[in-house]
Amino acid sequence: MIEIKQLTKKYGDFTAVDHLDLTIKTGEFFGLLGPNGAGKTTTISMLSTVLLPTSGEILIDGNKLDRKASAEKRKFSVITQEYSMRQDMTMDEVMEYQGRLYYMKKKEIREKSDELLAFTGLIDYRHRVVRHLSGGMKRKLMICRALMTDPEILLLDEPTAGMDAISRRQMWNLLRQLHSRNITILLTTHYIDEAQSLCDRVALIDHGKLDTVDAPQTLIDHLGAFAVDITTEERLVSKYFATKRDAIDYLSGSDEDMTMRNTTLEDVFVERIGRRIDQK
Amino acid sequence: MGVLAVLWEKWREFRRDFYKITLAAVITPLMYLIVFGLGIQTTSHGEPYLNFLIPGIVALSTMTGSFGAVAQNMSVQRLYEKALDQVMVSPTPLWQFILGQVIGGSLRGMYAGCMILLITFPVRTGLIFNGASFFIMFLNGAVFSTLALVLSFLAKSYTDAPRFTAYIITPMSFLCNTFFSTESMPAGIRQFIAALPLSQTSGMIRSISAGEYYSGFGYLILFAYLAAFSLISVLFIYKKKNL
Repeated sequence: MIEIKQLTKKYGDFTAVDHLDLTIKTGEFFGLLGPNGAGKTTTISMLSTVLLPTSGEILIDGNKLDRKASAEKRKFSVITQEYSMRQDMTMDEVMEYQGRLYYMKKKEIREKSDELLAFTGLIDYRHRVVRHLSGGMKRKLMICRALMTDPEILLLDEPTAGMDAISRRQMWNLLRQLHSRNITILLTTHYIDEAQSLCDRVALIDHGKLDTVDAPQTLIDHLGAFAVDITTEERLVSKYFATKRDAIDYLSGSDEDMTMRNTTLEDVFVERIGRRIDQK
Repeated sequence: MGVLAVLWEKWREFRRDFYKITLAAVITPLMYLIVFGLGIQTTSHGEPYLNFLIPGIVALSTMTGSFGAVAQNMSVQRLYEKALDQVMVSPTPLWQFILGQVIGGSLRGMYAGCMILLITFPVRTGLIFNGASFFIMFLNGAVFSTLALVLSFLAKSYTDAPRFTAYIITPMSFLCNTFFSTESMPAGIRQFIAALPLSQTSGMIRSISAGEYYSGFGYLILFAYLAAFSLISVLFIYKKKNL
């Protein structure tokens, strides 16, 4: 279990994360959503101890996480937004270095590396240097590296950023498989459909502050399970209804250009976060 | 041991860039030897100047070899590739990462120093290089590896590494008992230069090479620098808020 208590990160006068409280249960697939600059990556960086919080703390299974906490760090792997790897290493070397940093035996490193590189279709490129890989291949290699050590907790910062639609779907399937193995997953993403499809619960954050946290469907139901989009010349306006009947009644009572659909998590995001940005 | 993981990473880098590293280690010192040692034929304290110069160049090479190996590598890893994140998040204790960097850097410095010894071997100088000389070379490499770590943690962009070389390493290269004896320098400046690690390394290696007595005070200074820089590096890696 990950417990984030009153976590705050300040850079001078700017507060990137502001007294954030979250609890992520063991085996849960948890999404951290927010607009650009909301504090998602800063939160992940504090979880990976690259950044230290200004105040507050993080507990992993009840134990405080800091840079000395080797036993807690052993439990998780991180896939960062950037390709944080030695660019002059080959894929094999990246995997071996990871294994060595986690005290794996040479035979174990070899076997696990073979298995993961084969699974992600990278095995034929294993001697290729990282700087000569495409973005998608680098992303896959980061996943292989993260899974190399059989983590209990996986921190994913925008794992599908820059991927094409097919690769994204492959990644979703991979994440589902990992989730089925009871791995706790914390995901940050810009793709709200991704979070809706994968996550058990999501937290919306804005300006480093927690806006709300709940299951995607609960948030959708709270807004209204059915949406009617009204298209005007200037903008698209959506109205939300608890039942299909209410939505149809609204549609039939107007002659504007309108369409009805199911409400999505993106609607929740836009309503809760987007409206605030609009007001500002 | 996490130290072995770091040393493996350093060995891999050395093996891959063997020719580049070797050339970089010998070209500048070789120029100094040719220009000052062979081109400008002179004597120092009644001995061929080359006998004065070689121990200084060996000390200088261990400094630049170890400093360059760590400063360049760490700055790129931390600020450009973000590859340090892989270490930070791993269970490897971070002091072991520091220790691995220091040992790896010192060995690179030793390698650069040994290359100078190899190159100057055919010139029959009669200079003595023994176990103590190699230990001092290693110690000097360790001092400058830890200094490189400290500066790498302070660097704000990966282009800062060459600047640190220009501000710290280049002045030391010329002033610290490498090319000339500091005996004739004005008091104050002489004492200041004597307190710098490269001066002590050059002085001790030179005394050993000439078969002369040298005081163990130089060891004390080198160990003091090593302890101070190591402590700062460890504090940075454990306590620096934004790595």
